[in-house]
Amino acid sequence: MRQLRSRRVWALALLVGLLVACKGGDGAAVAEFSVPVEYHKLDNGLRVVLSQDSTAPIVTVAVYYNIGFRIEPQDRTGFAHLFEHMMFQGSDNLDKMEFIKLVQRNGGVMNGSTRFDFTNYFEIVPAHKLETMLWAEGDRMRGLAITQENLTNQQGVVKNEVKVNVLNQPYGGFPWLDVPQVAFTNWYNAHNFYGDLEDLDAATLEDVKAFFDSYYAPNNAALAIIGDFEPAQALDWVQKYFGDIPRVELAAGPDLSEPRQEEPRSGSRVAPKANRPALAVAYHMPERNTPEYYAMGLLDQILLQGNDSLLYQALVQREGMTGSVSGGINHPLGNMFNYNGPMLWNLSLYHDAETSADDILGEIDKVFEQVRSQPIDQETLDRAMVKMRSGLFDTMGGFFGFGRADLLASFALFDDDPARINALEDEFRKVTPELIRQTAEQYLRPTGKTVFTIEAGAQG
Amino acid sequence: MKSTKRTLILLVALLIVAPAFAEKQAPPPGGTPKDFSLPEKTRFELDNGLSATLVNYGTLPKVTVSVRVRSGNLNETADQIWLADLTSDMMEQGTTSKNAEAVAAAFASMGGELSISTGSDVTSFSTDVLSEFGPDAVRLLAEIVHQPAMPASELDRLKDDMVRSLSIAMSQPQPQADEKLAALLYGEHPYGRMFPTEEMIRGYSLENVQNFHEKNFGAKRTRLYVAGVFDEKAMERAIRDTYGDWAAGPDPLINVPEMHSGRAVHLVERPGAPQSTLRVALPVVDPSNEDYTALMVTNTLLGGFFSSRVTSNIREDKGYTYSPFSQVSSRYRTAYWVQNADVTTEVTGASLKEIFYEIDHLRTEPPPSAELEGVQNYMAGVFVLQNSSRNGIVGRLAFVDLHGLSDDYLTGYVKRVHAVTPEDVKKMAEKYLRDDEMTIVVVGDRSKIKGQLEGYGKFAD
Repeated sequence: MRQLRSRRVWALALLVGLLVACKGGDGAAVAEFSVPVEYHKLDNGLRVVLSQDSTAPIVTVAVYYNIGFRIEPQDRTGFAHLFEHMMFQGSDNLDKMEFIKLVQRNGGVMNGSTRFDFTNYFEIVPAHKLETMLWAEGDRMRGLAITQENLTNQQGVVKNEVKVNVLNQPYGGFPWLDVPQVAFTNWYNAHNFYGDLEDLDAATLEDVKAFFDSYYAPNNAALAIIGDFEPAQALDWVQKYFGDIPRVELAAGPDLSEPRQEEPRSGSRVAPKANRPALAVAYHMPERNTPEYYAMGLLDQILLQGNDSLLYQALVQREGMTGSVSGGINHPLGNMFNYNGPMLWNLSLYHDAETSADDILGEIDKVFEQVRSQPIDQETLDRAMVKMRSGLFDTMGGFFGFGRADLLASFALFDDDPARINALEDEFRKVTPELIRQTAEQYLRPTGKTVFTIEAGAQG
Repeated sequence: MKSTKRTLILLVALLIVAPAFAEKQAPPPGGTPKDFSLPEKTRFELDNGLSATLVNYGTLPKVTVSVRVRSGNLNETADQIWLADLTSDMMEQGTTSKNAEAVAAAFASMGGELSISTGSDVTSFSTDVLSEFGPDAVRLLAEIVHQPAMPASELDRLKDDMVRSLSIAMSQPQPQADEKLAALLYGEHPYGRMFPTEEMIRGYSLENVQNFHEKNFGAKRTRLYVAGVFDEKAMERAIRDTYGDWAAGPDPLINVPEMHSGRAVHLVERPGAPQSTLRVALPVVDPSNEDYTALMVTNTLLGGFFSSRVTSNIREDKGYTYSPFSQVSSRYRTAYWVQNADVTTEVTGASLKEIFYEIDHLRTEPPPSAELEGVQNYMAGVFVLQNSSRNGIVGRLAFVDLHGLSDDYLTGYVKRVHAVTPEDVKKMAEKYLRDDEMTIVVVGDRSKIKGQLEGYGKFAD
């Protein structure tokens, strides 16, 4: 057994969350909500965020590694995701299946996922099992014990995942795999993130080891703990189970930058099993955390979110071109907060062959022209703000603490500032109707548009 | 037993080479469990028969309001499939005082959206809004349910949307499998009719929709649920003021189906499919039966969670599939058990072999008590999660109400789960998972899988 050394813990910030109620104009109490954020960094670089919530006797443990699918090796498409599966296949003290069984037999649920800019692992367990989970996450951050048999098994599982979600589905991969490949030009942003089956088959144990050594290190990770626990006790455990995992020398990441798009782009494919055409439209997002970025968040609410949105009203309610329009920022893989690089705002819909894609695009352009040419009225902006606020509350308090863990870990990893979570509302409040117009003009410009269409290959 | 032998060999191997390994650490066991009690509820009934259940829960300034009506596909006749759904769609098109756009804007201004879900037994109208708008949400939902405008101008558009949704659903293998399975298990009963034809949808008139609404909506069929942060007095007042004058209307329709199942293979052709979509199913007891909890424990252990036997076998050992799962699917006084899996075409037969191996194994040998204990802890933990969100709380209460269960169903749940013994699990498997009566549905490439399916039952089509 390795020697556990006690390390000094550096407390960066301590914010205490309060539920503040003040009187609204109509006499009803208008509630505000902020979350407690305690941020620490261990000597080995691990970022640790603690946030108490005693609503239920449960605790969420989330470990985010700064390795998303966009920076996986060029000859190993899909590897970041395949590797995510490897993290359940055995570590020093936990054999294959034992991690999952440990969580479940202690009354918890767990999952892992691979996204543009991180791979995450989380468990939601009864509060008194926090130490057990920290030990287990620490064990697999320390090192894996993967056999060829387990790798081969998970190559089979992942290929089945691609089949069930993509290859045996009429629209499989639309729009989430299709659109970035057209809207972006930099390979890192524009490849097949699920992976080509040949690339998945080509992965070796050496690849697994090299990948782990490069990215799965404490100084490339953030740990968030949300729920009913004592922060001092939790921090001791974090120190005990993660404190002596050595940091590694991190290589400089690839250049992810996307050149400004100067011409509209388009792509198309025939889907042999689909019997209705489909259409997606995408635009590049403003840079994260700029005023335009927050304006785009509210534009998304105004244009696309909910049945009151301008696109729903135009395309569904008035024109009957489709039954629904879905999309958003970083949709459907995440939200506007949990990424760190070039990103798209996209929308997609299914329609009938009798309604041409050009007619639909014309109608969409009319809506965009409206927000580009004149400032939105204050009432619409206020409504967008209410929707945003309501959604933020859910993210901060929903899914048993996972939504909050996701924001805190993302902000720790990408901004070194998880306390940002409580400043978001104010950033949105700064957005004016004129900024909305300018943002639409600049980012929803005709030359910045990408259109992707699915041609129905089946009769139906 | 095959698996026992494998374990023995492994143990021997470990004993021989053990000195080469460092000793493994055991996980720290954790502390003492914290108390969990179900959040308190307030319930009252109006004179017209409508009931309301209020649960103050959490600190997040939001509140969920859900109006649930005992109306759904059960209330359709054979030539009215999805008329319940079309009625719901029409109810979204505005009220006698607000058009569709105004309704959408009103929900959005409260930080919510109107979400309508049409099911077999129940149609629910729900929203999740900022706390200060709770009573307003209650009032607006009442308008939607009680005073829909049903504008004729929207009908054709909604029918077009419905035809498109139908067509897209039928191009996916999972709905194809579920449709076949429902028809086999439920026959001519409404539960056996999952999808309409395009012609049927095209034929629905405004009058059909209006009649369906009139015949099936009313106070006696309606239950209202509120969960989250809200002012209880203001909420109760809003409910009494808004829903109190509704007509009582009809009692819920009770129409319990007779189920059918027989060991046979039903193949649905999907040319070129890289996977076969499997359903292995048979009728079991519903939530009102005394065996239900033990059956749920048995289901979880067999195929109902990641650590289950079937998942361990066909996913983590063999790599045949990604997300297999089994479940008990319940409606009012009826239920069936089903194992679902999407498996690579070439191992369709091999997957069925393993599924039946695991079923038979459980029917002949009680599970080790440590394995069962893990399942029980998992179910107890999930129960806490299910009752730790606004939506989850409403869902659990509505489940108890629909199935006519007593409060004890929830308050005694964890205790009942823990009372199940290994012998009980074997008994449940023997009693309910009768492999000679399993209906097998396979959606896949007939030319590649027909041969693999020989020996799993007679081919029915």
